[in-house]
Amino acid sequence: MALDPIISAGVIYSSILVLLALGLTLTYMTTRVPNFAHASFATIGVYIALVVTRVWDASPYIALPIAFAVSGAVSLALYTFVLKPLIRRGAKPAIQMISTLAFDLVLIAAINIAADYIVHLYDVTSREFTLRSYDASFADLPMVLFVSPVLIAAIVFCLHYVLHRTKFGIAMRATIENPDLSSVVGINVKMVYGVSWFVGGAMAGVAGVMMSLWFQGDPSLGTFLIPSIFAASIVGGFASLYGAIAGGILVGMAEIFGTRIIAGEFGSWLIAYRPLVPLVFIVITLLIAPKGLAGVDWKNLARRLHVTRS
Amino acid sequence: MSLGPEVTFFVDLLAIYSIYIIINTSLNLEFGYAGIPNFGKVLAVGVGAFVAAAIPGRIFASMAGIEGDYIADNIAIMSGVNAWLVDNTGIGFTVFFVTLGIAAAISAVIGIATAYPAIRLRGDYLAITLLALAEGMRIIGINYADIAGGTLGVQLPDPLVWLPADLRFPIATLGLVAMATIAMIYSDRLIRSPLGRLLRAVRDNEVSAESLGKDVTRARVKTIMVAAAMAGIAGAMYAFYAGSTIAFAYDRINWTFWPFMMILIGGLANNRGVLVGTFIFVLVRKLITFYKDSVQEFVPFDVVWLDYLLLGVILIVILLYRPQGILKERATPTIHIEGHHDTPVYVRLKNIARRLVYG
Repeated sequence: MALDPIISAGVIYSSILVLLALGLTLTYMTTRVPNFAHASFATIGVYIALVVTRVWDASPYIALPIAFAVSGAVSLALYTFVLKPLIRRGAKPAIQMISTLAFDLVLIAAINIAADYIVHLYDVTSREFTLRSYDASFADLPMVLFVSPVLIAAIVFCLHYVLHRTKFGIAMRATIENPDLSSVVGINVKMVYGVSWFVGGAMAGVAGVMMSLWFQGDPSLGTFLIPSIFAASIVGGFASLYGAIAGGILVGMAEIFGTRIIAGEFGSWLIAYRPLVPLVFIVITLLIAPKGLAGVDWKNLARRLHVTRS
Repeated sequence: MSLGPEVTFFVDLLAIYSIYIIINTSLNLEFGYAGIPNFGKVLAVGVGAFVAAAIPGRIFASMAGIEGDYIADNIAIMSGVNAWLVDNTGIGFTVFFVTLGIAAAISAVIGIATAYPAIRLRGDYLAITLLALAEGMRIIGINYADIAGGTLGVQLPDPLVWLPADLRFPIATLGLVAMATIAMIYSDRLIRSPLGRLLRAVRDNEVSAESLGKDVTRARVKTIMVAAAMAGIAGAMYAFYAGSTIAFAYDRINWTFWPFMMILIGGLANNRGVLVGTFIFVLVRKLITFYKDSVQEFVPFDVVWLDYLLLGVILIVILLYRPQGILKERATPTIHIEGHHDTPVYVRLKNIARRLVYG
């Protein structure tokens, strides 16, 4: 079966963006601080996949649970040891944002040191490497093409189930809505926040493993994705998990297919400017609908469009 | 005559210190006094450097009648231009100052344009937008080779080329020190002006400032404009000082993250804190670079990452345990009181000079 490689690229990239935007939005909804270190949690996943495949000679999919645990733990550490004390001391949101930037710097440095160590200890390329050849294949197509959307559907289903059907999920939604009132009725707000940060980071780690099977791995990989992740979350409204899913698909598809279409019309030199696509999304969203897709009153909009048409 | 390594070390230190003083003063205006989290500080610095890379070289080349493609034959054109500049010092300086003006103007316009989508929204949206759009500046700089040579970079004309080689960097450094002093005095005066008071009022309580009929958005736009112009001048001067520019050099860590770190070490909303914080940071980094090689033998990884790791941890510790920095923000007297401890530095210097002249 012949499949235009751009379709696999679009599906995989959008899936990764959805996962990253979901995690970022989840942490933002709880503590209300945009986490600039989020992309580096994914880079950790990339390096775990590298160690699992090249050093342990195992399937890259074994890295999924490990990355889930490690990135989640790192994310939880950021919340517990940096953000929680800062919030307790009444630090301003801007100071909290700077602390996540500082944490990102520490992570980038640690990942680079780890990359150098991997070369030193195992004699394995740890910069600008690719793991595509280690991926299994299904119907002559890379396995990650099927795994990434299925995995995301499963994660979204689990999240939805937990948030709407379990006691803990209802407590979580209540905390997001009104932390003070929730703590009055006996919900452990800090525990809820900690769990959200763990899950948010863990999802980024899982996204990182899938990134390693598609992109060229490098310590700087996460840094390049930051504008896209934030664009997806802002397009989604930064306050709704379903918005993040829609934002991730929209930005991911626009980056892959939009660039292809525009480059086809105006010339291939435009391909290099693909990283500007998420910036355009950020600017347009903030100018037209600052609350994102989730904040638009669709029924009202449809009615108004209908009125103007007739 | 040749300069010893100690002198070169000191001149280098002073040059980078002055550049960062200009940038940090502008960031302190935005973040310390007005509460605008400009996470895209690198944008204005980079735009200034790009202006210095793209404009004066072309002007000189056309004046000197040197033909050729400015980017492709950059090195040949620049050696021709520099040879021509030896005999045309006056024109060299004129174009240099005009370039600074253009850099300031373009940086200010781009600064407002990039802040515009989010200026009325919550601070975190503004921070995300500025950070993301600053990445856009880098992408354009790397891919659009006509600006600054893309991935290869460009050489800049040197208005000080007529000086003996040994004196070129010390004299250029003096120019940087002079510009840093002007930036410091300007910011000191701005803070004491009605606009400065308004900025602090907006920062501390936006709603109450608005309820008194103050136009909060307009005050923010003014601050961003002024700060971007200052950072643009710093970027252009750094490009002239270094003699070359490459888009890769204008990254988030060097020109956004370090400035934030320096003003947080010294103390937000305190210009003396900027002087202290920048000095400590620049000195420590310079010493790290100086002694890096002796540590490199003992570790199997690049020492630069240990540097980043340490600085990141230090910043987190500062934010947790000393968020006000070394020097706290102090009340700013807006009228001048003789002998008051908070008399601005420039007023004190003026008084000393007056006493020296008139006895």
